[in-house]
Parts: sequence; C-alpha cells; structure tokens
Amino acid sequence: MSLLSLEAGTEFRTRVRAMTRERMRWYVDAQPTIGADDGRIHTQEPTIHDDDEYARSQGLPGIIADGMISTNWIQGLLIDVFGIDFASRSRLKTKYIAPIYENQKVVACARVDTVTRDVDGHDIYTLEVWCEDDDTKKKLTVGTARVQIS
Amino acid sequence: MATGGVVTDLDVGDVLGPIEYTLSSFVIREYSHVVEMHHEIFQGAEDLVMPPSLIHLDKLRLYNHACPGGTGPTARIHYEYDAEIFVPVRVGDRLVVSGEVKQRYTKKSREYVLMEMLLKRVDTGELLVRYLDQVILAYSGKNEAA
Repeated sequence: MSLLSLEAGTEFRTRVRAMTRERMRWYVDAQPTIGADDGRIHTQEPTIHDDDEYARSQGLPGIIADGMISTNWIQGLLIDVFGIDFASRSRLKTKYIAPIYENQKVVACARVDTVTRDVDGHDIYTLEVWCEDDDTKKKLTVGTARVQIS
Repeated sequence: MATGGVVTDLDVGDVLGPIEYTLSSFVIREYSHVVEMHHEIFQGAEDLVMPPSLIHLDKLRLYNHACPGGTGPTARIHYEYDAEIFVPVRVGDRLVVSGEVKQRYTKKSREYVLMEMLLKRVDTGELLVRYLDQVILAYSGKNEAA
C-alpha cells in the first residue's frame, strides 16, 4: 500500500487468526528460548498461557493468551503498512481489556487518526489500534500508535 | 528494597539491572517467528532490526536477575504495554537494559505494578527504547484484564 494514500480515517485489518493453544505455547516457549540465546528451544514451568490446571488454580476458566501476542499482531500490521519506519521511530501503547481464550478468532486493526508534518519535514502518523473478536466485534486489546516517516 | 526475592514482592523504587548483552540474529528471528511477523527486516539473512516489542522480553531478563525466587505465589497478568523506539537497534549492538519500579498500587482489590525500562547503547549511553510495563500481580476471576 502506498503511504501517499493514507489519510485520517484509513483503516487496516489483518486476516482472522484463531488464538490456538499452539500460538499461546509458542510465545511461552519463546521466552526461555530467547533468554538462553543458544540456538536451541527451551521450555518453562507451567503458565496460565499453556496449562489449564495452573490457569484454573489462578482463578481463570482455562488458559488465556499472553497479551503480548495481540500487541505483536498489531505491531505486525503496522510493519506491513509503515515498514522499517515503525521499527525505527515509533510508539505503541496497548491495554488488555479482555482475556483472549483458546480458539477465539481475533483480528488486529488500525485506523489513521491524524497525519501531520513536523518541523524537520517528517510525516507523523497517529493511529487508533485494537484487536477484536471476529464473531462479536468486541474489542479485546485497545491502544494507540505513533510513527515518524523518515 | 524488594529485589533478591520474588516478582510479587517488587515495590516502588526497586531498581532492576543494569544488564548488558549483545543483540543476536537468533533472538530477532525467533521472536518474530513466534508472533508471526514474517518480514524480511526481522527474518531475513542480514540487516535485521529489533522488533520494538522485543523489549518486553528484557523485562523477563531483569526479573530473572533481580528476583531469583521466581514469580511468587500468584500469576502475573500483563495489563499495559507502552514502548517508544528512538533509533533502530541492530544485530551486534551492545546494549544495556535497566528497570525501575515507578508505581505499586491497589485498585479494585488488584495489585498493579508499573515499571519503566530503558534500553541504551553501552558505548555511548544513547537511549534507544523506553518501555513502560504495567502488570497485575494477582488475578481474580472477576478481572477483565488479559
């Protein structure tokens, strides 16, 4: 998509993804794997994201997704649109307002709020971002983003 | 000061780190892969940049260092993520991360903790990423956070 076509109100959406048990576990196992940084897969103790029994012991009905998965799905959408600029000069704020349960169908969304130009001539985009349940359209994660175009 | 124990003991003013490390291509590719960011800037053969959200895993690096006793008696729920990146961070960059607990408060019987983290370049001290992370330390069934 050309950045020239972006104006306030322009909306982007990802495809629908089911928050499967595997997607939740991928993020769980990534944490010790990245911490070790030795090129091998590592696992960790049971969490509320990959162990139903442990999740129930913490007052949950079952496993729920780590909020960072929805944040990253939003971020991936913003990288799709803005490319490396989003990984260079940007801000992303997200708040997890509802749990995401196993197999819930989720869409990450962004809508351009403002387009301005700073004193150095950089275009600045602000956006509303969210993840929603594809069936009910209920917002699960909400937030804002800002990106400076080089 | 509540460092040296478990995460649920952390309190205002606690400083975590600093911890130095070198950003690797493995870390960038692995993280981007698990969250399905299949962009060349994250999963290509060269010229990789750090996904801004990778700063979140530095929090766990700090927790492991400052809280060797682990999570504590209750699961931690992530409530808010707020990361600002000022400069692209690349493979091979020598980095230092630190954190400071800025707030701990109770709201509707839930314990919230806000930590500020700073990621800087070791050799120059240049600020690369600022991250505000807010968690709930104990989850109740009535909680609406994820």
